[in-house]
Amino acid sequence: MVNEERKKEILEKLKRAVINYDEDGAKEAAKEALEAGIDAGEAIFNGLVSGMEEVGRLFEAQEYFVPELLMCADALYAGLDILKPHMKKLDLGVKGTVVIGTVEGDVHDIGKNIVKMMFDVAGFTVYDLGRDVPLDKFVEEQLRTDADLVCLSAMMTTTMVGMKKVIEEIKKRNPNAKIMIGGAPVSQDIAEKWGADGYAKDASNALKEAINMISSLKKLKEEAEAKANAPQAG
Amino acid sequence: MSTITMTPKDRINRLFKKEEIDRIPCFSGMGNITEYGLKRLGYRFADIHLDATMMADSAATTYELFGYECAVVPFDLCVEAEALGCEINVYAHQEGILYPTIRKKLINNETEMEISIPDGLESRGRIPLVSEAIRLLKKRIGEYVPIGSYVLGPFTLAGQVMDLNELLKLSFKKPDKVGRLLDILADVAIRVAREFIKAGVDYLTVREMGATSDVLSPRVFKSLIQPYLKKVIAQITVPTVLHICGKTNHIVQFMVETGATAISVDQKNDLVESRKTLGNDVLIFGNLDPYNVLVQGKPETVREAVRRCIDDGASALWPGCDIWPTVPPENFQAMMDEVKRYKKAR
Repeated sequence: MVNEERKKEILEKLKRAVINYDEDGAKEAAKEALEAGIDAGEAIFNGLVSGMEEVGRLFEAQEYFVPELLMCADALYAGLDILKPHMKKLDLGVKGTVVIGTVEGDVHDIGKNIVKMMFDVAGFTVYDLGRDVPLDKFVEEQLRTDADLVCLSAMMTTTMVGMKKVIEEIKKRNPNAKIMIGGAPVSQDIAEKWGADGYAKDASNALKEAINMISSLKKLKEEAEAKANAPQAG
Repeated sequence: MSTITMTPKDRINRLFKKEEIDRIPCFSGMGNITEYGLKRLGYRFADIHLDATMMADSAATTYELFGYECAVVPFDLCVEAEALGCEINVYAHQEGILYPTIRKKLINNETEMEISIPDGLESRGRIPLVSEAIRLLKKRIGEYVPIGSYVLGPFTLAGQVMDLNELLKLSFKKPDKVGRLLDILADVAIRVAREFIKAGVDYLTVREMGATSDVLSPRVFKSLIQPYLKKVIAQITVPTVLHICGKTNHIVQFMVETGATAISVDQKNDLVESRKTLGNDVLIFGNLDPYNVLVQGKPETVREAVRRCIDDGASALWPGCDIWPTVPPENFQAMMDEVKRYKKAR
């Protein structure tokens, strides 16, 4: 049985480490969490992700800017690398595979990396194609990995246009694959017109979107646990 | 002075000197070619970055077809980085419009940041080609039309030659180290600017869009970005426009302090607020939305947006970024017509 006081303290330490972009602190707290017998999933969601939620607020309030955001993400990953191997796989009703990348002509990948972080945290298998990715590659990779989700990012209007083709191709071959598009020039309107299933406007928006999705995953996780812990019916 | 004979060149020269003009000019210091213009020439976008004649021909079309009051080369943001040794990709196989990007960066991590400027920088990459395009434009339309070019600000250039994520983190963790790199890159910008001035540009834009407040805090802008912009701008002997995109309201004062002749802001800047902050004497160029208005809008939307920019206090009707080549010709024409019809000058 984990000492509640100690658990609270460690979760707070994880959270603080992310907010203070303290990679060493995050590693240390992650090890302490495992030693103390805290569930890895709980340490991730109620420690690291709680910290990232606060970072999102600081970013919104313009107290944090992109450099801080990137450093906080590094701290989160430092903790995540230690905790993830111990995380129990949860059945969320999807296979949990995502293909992600920035479309050809575009070398900006900050927004893409933030969205990727969300999927890493949620325990998805992520195929990161990087930046400046030829359009066909997205289609091929979706087919090869049978991914549930394909995320396309573009920072510039001229490169955004290429997304339309990718969405069409993927939907033609695999109507069940979900597609999320993101980047500065993308709008809800464009996402709907082109048949994408979701969109994130910019880094701050991607983070918010990420947090929304994480929050809903959190809920799913809690529900799954509640079910698992409930006395067997009949 | 007769206003009837005022050419775009007269008008813009006078504007930079803050002398009386008949109306505000409509021009840019960034890319402004159109697909419409390229089609008339029969040129592919991917080819016009690699040939001085094609580059000059393309740049001249916007004046020749629409009466746009400038001609600007180059069209991409890789010239300095390429001269420093980065490998670029012009997407030669693509029929559509993809701007050249850096395929291979010079600096991949912190340990590689101590670079030196290669010998004969001025003759490397496409610096001679762009200079030649400037000379061709000068000869062709330079009597009436101001010829412009641009250099990247040191921080934006740093983002081209090294991994941007690393650069952003280091600008927070190790500002001294980043500062040393920016100092070297400021020298690069100065030397490239000198070549373009020698070739005959009438004005230069310094594009420091990597340092927008969407990305960096105003505090970091002041301590880390501004000093090197000052260094560059002090060495440029033609009128200089400092362009930064994104939310710039908190840094407009810092932008003016760099010594630029004019500052350029995009549609995320609240021009009315900027005027309040800076007063009426400062030249502020902006801030027409080059995509949502100019490409996506109808001619009437464009006319409305033009009037709003002028009423809000723009000293020149100027787009927030490169003009997207897919701009419909009727929208471009509407922009020009409305500036002339509205006939206001500050």
